[in-house]
Formats: sequence, structure tokens, C-alpha cells
Amino acid sequence: MDFGFSEQQGEVQTLARQILSEQVTPERLAAYDEFKAERFDRELWQQLAQAGLLGVALEESHGGMGFGFTELALFIEEVGRSIAPVPVIPHLVSAAAPIQRFGSSELQGRWLPGVASGDVLLTAALMEPGNEEPAAPSLTTATLDGDGYRVSGLKTCVPFARSADRILLSAAVDGGVVVLLVDPKSAGISLEDVRYSTYETQYQLTLQDVQVSAADVLAGPTAGAAVMQWLSLRTTAALCAHQLGVTDHSMRMTASYSAERKQFGVLIGTFQAVGHRAANCYIDVECLRLNTYQAASLLASEADATNEVQIAKVWAGDVGHRVSYASQHLHGGTGIDRDYPLWRYCLWARHNEMMLGGSARQLAALGARIAAGEAYCA
Amino acid sequence: MKVEFTPQQNALREELRAYFGELMTPELMDECSRDMGEGGGPLWRTALKKMGADGWIGLGWPEELGGKGMSPIEQFIFVEEIMRAGYPFPFLTTESVGPQLAENGNEWHKTELVPKILAGELLISIGYSEPGAGTDLAALKTSAVRDGDEWVINGQKMWTSLAHFCDYTWLAVRTDPDAPKKHKGISMFLVPNDDPGWSCTPVNTLGDVRTNATFYDNIRVSDRNLVGELNGGWKLITSQLNRERLSLVNVGPTAVLFNKVVQWASETTLADGSRLVDEAWVQGNLARVRVGIEALKLVCYKQAWAMSEGTLDMADASVAKVYGSEFFIEAYRLLGEVVGQASMVKAHSEAGEVLQGRIERLYRTASIITFGGGTNEIQRDIISAAGLWIPRASR
Ligand SMILES: Cc1cc2nc3c(=O)[nH]c(=O)nc-3n(C[C@H](O)[C@H](O)[C@H](O)COP(=O)(O)OP(=O)(O)OC[C@H]3O[C@@H](n4cnc5c(N)ncnc54)[C@H](O)[C@@H]3O)c2cc1C
Repeated sequence: MDFGFSEQQGEVQTLARQILSEQVTPERLAAYDEFKAERFDRELWQQLAQAGLLGVALEESHGGMGFGFTELALFIEEVGRSIAPVPVIPHLVSAAAPIQRFGSSELQGRWLPGVASGDVLLTAALMEPGNEEPAAPSLTTATLDGDGYRVSGLKTCVPFARSADRILLSAAVDGGVVVLLVDPKSAGISLEDVRYSTYETQYQLTLQDVQVSAADVLAGPTAGAAVMQWLSLRTTAALCAHQLGVTDHSMRMTASYSAERKQFGVLIGTFQAVGHRAANCYIDVECLRLNTYQAASLLASEADATNEVQIAKVWAGDVGHRVSYASQHLHGGTGIDRDYPLWRYCLWARHNEMMLGGSARQLAALGARIAAGEAYCA
Repeated sequence: MKVEFTPQQNALREELRAYFGELMTPELMDECSRDMGEGGGPLWRTALKKMGADGWIGLGWPEELGGKGMSPIEQFIFVEEIMRAGYPFPFLTTESVGPQLAENGNEWHKTELVPKILAGELLISIGYSEPGAGTDLAALKTSAVRDGDEWVINGQKMWTSLAHFCDYTWLAVRTDPDAPKKHKGISMFLVPNDDPGWSCTPVNTLGDVRTNATFYDNIRVSDRNLVGELNGGWKLITSQLNRERLSLVNVGPTAVLFNKVVQWASETTLADGSRLVDEAWVQGNLARVRVGIEALKLVCYKQAWAMSEGTLDMADASVAKVYGSEFFIEAYRLLGEVVGQASMVKAHSEAGEVLQGRIERLYRTASIITFGGGTNEIQRDIISAAGLWIPRASR
């Protein structure tokens, strides 16, 4: 049992925090408000690549640092803390990680060096309308076509779909689920901009008889569902890590504010009711932190972490909700003033809460596992 | 970072689980449940002496003091396992007062009392609270006054738990009424509960837990009954409270209760023959509890780990106390809903009893640790000040 950071983990955290806290300013974030530009800071992306952070969990032979999922989660926590406009989760967790784990060496060689250098951009389409279960696509189907597949269907919530070089997605086929890397420029693909409150467009992706060559198949019918399950657990844990950064930062912003703002001649933080609501946030964030780290640490050692990831995501949803509103409340009007930096954090807390399923859905899934005898306490 | 037990820690857990499995005979369990989880009965005493003889008392004490020298994380595993087994271990004596006597005590404490504590033959009750001194403990009035080479003790304590079967009371008294700050005039004494000036009347509580009002009427003791420095008692009190928190919000018993309720709901069928556990609302409640237990487990383990590393953070200790005590109440409610009307049926009822009436009783005892063991309001003050650097109001 060790809750401390190793030297390399501490270094990843420090490096990421240093670059992101310097580069991501409210002024730079404002450039993307109201969809003025695609929410992607390419200059920052290159800096992260040069610092080696895009390759933090990629093997050295692909130009990475050779670390594991824990280090990647710590990097993502920092991305959350700064709400940096960079597609770290879809690129590194949902797409690159499964390519490294399950892809042929040809596939790895084709994509991973570019992932680390930032020269290519990958994303993933994990959800369908009314279906938040990445391993069980129901609206998207594929049929064998020569060595490859022909895919038709519908996906939602696909970030960065327009700029990506490939979109990882799953489709139901005879005998299982396949995982494909689809080129968004292929014939038969249409993208609709869906405007989300974070100002990060989540595309709706329609596929009509899209041809995918054998070279772009990551997993065939018998392996596909397990691959999707694998990457969905990691993407969920990554959302938790991002949420940890978001909520920790919101809470600390709130604490600082309550140590500066005076009413009735005293600092508002000295009102016990104010201090205690902030203390509740602290307890919440600590619970989210420990559950996230536990999930990341288990996933890093390829242990079965289904229960732990679901539990962490419930905390991510609940804590995101509570810290967002406590932070707004304790700031009074300032919290929602768009000239003060808190409001964007509230939107990201909401994003992380809902993506891949909110608390109720996670609880339902965990409840089913409990009923099946799969989630007793050790 | 590796949020998993080492093989050695897992082995210790298994050893303890097997040991307590054998120790807890049905007769002993019955006696403990009759004593409302407080202990004090004859079988309980025999078991305690056996644990002393087997070297299981004083496991966190340094080896040179006769202990096992275990790290806090190993101690935590011990506490969790013994609490899971349902044995009311006298933590206050063995883990709070005992080590202080071993470290700060005089010759008499070290050569006579400490070995008896380690043998499971000496029990100590805690006399801090008074009718007028609760959360504001430093307001206590019970006094010790010097008379020749003796001390004369007078006053009243409140909520002196276990005192009716303990040998001594670890008593906080005022020795300097003129100290500039009220917590600077307090000293700690060990007062024999069989002194003619000592008396005790029961205080019965909602949860059937018996506690006591204790009275100190011209009790004369000598210097050897003083523990630590004169007027230096506050430090001993606060460090004792820190140790106490390790057992207050332990995750073990709730994990056991959760598992039992899941088991029960899996075996219980509804009128149409379907299993109770397959109801959506039941799964919802169980999942909520499971999510909360996981966080409590991690909060506790992190605390034990930090103690092992010597990096225990004040705010984190308070997080565990507040979160744990409030989660228990919520967990009992959610599990009680699953059990339904039977969650109000008392133990030893002629019919309708489920899980030995545990949930019925837990509803009645759960509030104690939200205000006891350092009330949650004060813990939240600590969290906002030590964890978030929010300025405090002066008190
Ligand atoms: C079953 C049981 C066993 C016990 N065993 C022992 C024992 O063995 N030895 C012993 O010495 N004591 C024991 N206690 C006493 C226990 O420690 C006290 O109950 C506790 O310290 C609270 O004191 P109080 O009951 O006087 O409540 P009070 O201090 O009067 O508190 C009442 C309410 O006021 C709130 N409050 C007080 N101060 C503040 C503040 N500064 N800010 C905000 N809110 C505040 C509290 O949170 C609480 O909600 C026991 C109590 C019980 C019920």
C-alpha cells in the first residue's frame, strides 16, 4: 500500500503543471469562447510533445517516455487543473493506448511515433445516441468487404472529429464487435457540429457504407468487445483524473477568494458556514482523488478494475456537481462573472460528470455487478 | 504509487482473520452482543488474556516496551480484522493510554501497570468530559490540589465509558487554576476506581450503550499517579485523541455488514419468486453504499500509510473522521431500506429478526461519533484551516 509518488511520477506532475500553468491563461482560453475557433491550442500541443508528455505512456521505441497509465493519469489531472484546450484524453487514452496494447506492430509503427510527436491526431467515437456503452454498439454495424469492412451507423460526442487523422470506433458485426480506425475524410462520412457548453464541439458522425481497409482494423469480431471494454475503462478513469484537476482547482480558487473577500468587516472565510462548505469540498475532492488513483494504479498493472473504475466515476460525477455549485455559491456573483476564471471550470466539471455516463448510470451498472456477486467487499 | 496491499500485509490479514475466527466462539459473540459491544464479561476477559498471552496486545508499541513494533498500516489491518470479527477490543487502554504510560510514565507505570496492560489484565477508562466541558474540553473543572506530598482530587466527570468495569480512570484535572491559558493548567492522573471516594452511576443511552457519570470525592493519590509533567496534560490528551481516531471510523464492520446484506438480499425472494437483490432500487441503494465504503477504505488506508511514513496530515485525519462518521449514518439508512421493516426488529425477537438485529441497533448508536471523538464541526474547522488555508474566526 503506497500512496506516494515515485520520482518519475513527481517529475511528470511537475513538468506538466509547469508548462500548463504558464501557457494556459484566461486570455488564451477566451480565444475559444463562443466557438470562435476550434478548441485546440496547437502551439501548446507542440510544447507538450516536445516536453515528451504526449508520449508519457508510449514505449520508448515509439518515441515515448515508456511510463504507464498512472503517469498518464497524473498528466491528465494537470490538464484538468488548467482546463487546457488540448485533446489529450481522446488522442492518448481512447486511441493511442489501445493501438499500443492490441495493435499489430505495423499499426503501432504507423501511428504511435506521430502520436508522441504531435504530428498526427487521433480521436475516438465511443457513444451512440441513447447508448453510452462503448463495447456494445447498437446503431453502428459493419459487414465484411474483402479484407476490410464496410461500416454504417451513427456516433455522437466525437471530439475533434474534423481535425483527426483517424477516429477509433466500434461496430457490431456478425459474431461480435470490430474496432476500426476510420479516416474522417473517407467517402460516406458526414459530420455535424454539435455545440456543447464547454465550447468544445462534439461531433455527430454519420457513416454510410464507409470502406475501411484491413490495415485500419484494430480488432476483429472475437476480440473487439474486450478491446472496447479495455479502452472504455481507461477513458473513464481519465475523465476522473481530469475531473480531479478541475475540482481541486475550483476548490482552491474558492478558498483563496474566501480568504480575501470581506463582508460585515471580516473575511467571509471566518464564517463557519463558509469554511464548512469549503471543508465539504475538501472531503469530496479527497475521496475523488483516492478513488481515481486507486483505479489508475490498478489499470496500470492490468488488474481487473471494473468495480473501482465505476466507483471512481460515481465520485467524479457527484463531486463535480457539488464542488461546482459550492464554488459558485461561495464566490457570490463573482463566481459566475465571465471576467473571473471560475465559470469555465464549472462547465468542465459538468462535462466530466456526464461523459460516458453520469452517476446514476454508473450506480446501475455497479448495482448489477453487486447482484451478480461480483462486487463484494474484500 | 501502488494502491494494493503487499503480499506480507495480505498474509498478516489472513493470519488475523483465522485467529479471530477461532477466538470468536458463538458463546463469546453472544456475550459481546449482550454487553452492547462494550465487553467486560467473563468470556470477554478470558479472550483478552489469551490475546495478551499470544502477543496480540500492544502491537504498535516499540519492541523494547514489550510490544510488537508493528507499523501503523499493520496496526490498521489488526484493528480492521478485530472489528470485523466483532470483538470489542479495549483500544483506549491498549492503544491510547498504554503507549503513553510506556513512553512518558514513571517506574511504577512502566514496571507494574504496563505489563498488566500487555497481558490483558488491566483496563482503564477515560475521564475527560464533564457536565460543563464537552467540545470545549479545556473548560474542565475537576481539580487536584496539593496537600503535603499528596494530591486531593474532587469533581465530576460525565460519559466515563467502561468505568464500571475498569481498574483505573485516566483523569484530566485542573492543577493550576491561575494558568494564563486554560489548557495550560491541566494534568493527567491515574485514579484507582476502587478508591472509597470514587463512585459511578449509569447513564443509559438511546443505543443501549451504557456509559457513566463518575464522581471524585476527596480522593487522595500520590505523585506516582501523575502521568507526564505537572500542567503538561493537554499534550497527552490531544495525542491520545489522534490515536483514537484510527479505530473510530474503521471500514471493517461496515464492509462486513454490506456483504451480509447483499447475501441476504440475494437469498430473499419476493412474492413472485424473484430475488430481492434484482430489484432496481435495491441495487441502487447497495451501489451507493459500495461506493461510499470504497472511499472510506482508501481514506483510512491513506491515513495509516501516512502514519507509517511519518507524514500524517492534520486535514486528512479530520477528513477520515468526518467522512466516516457521516457515511456510516447514510449507509445504515440505505441498507436498512433494503432490509425493510425487519430493519426495525430488535435482536432476540421471537420472529422477523434479520442479521441479529444489527441494523436496528446501529440506527440508535450511529450519532455518537459525529459529535464524540472531536465533534465534526471542529474537524471541519481544521480541514478548512489546515487543508485550505482559510482564515479562522477567533474562539
Ligand atoms: C456513548 C458515549 C461515550 C462517551 N465516552 C466518553 C469517555 O469514555 N470519556 C470521555 O471523556 N467522554 C466520553 N464521551 C463524551 C464525548 O466525548 C462528548 O459527548 C463530546 O466531547 C461532545 O461533548 P458534549 O456532549 O458536551 O456536546 P457539546 O460540546 O455541548 O456539543 C453540542 C453541539 O454543539 C456543537 N459545538 C460545540 N462547540 C462548537 C464549535 N466551536 N463550533 C461549532 N459547533 C460546536 C457540537 O458540534 C454539538 O453539535 C462519550 C459520549 C457518549 C455519548
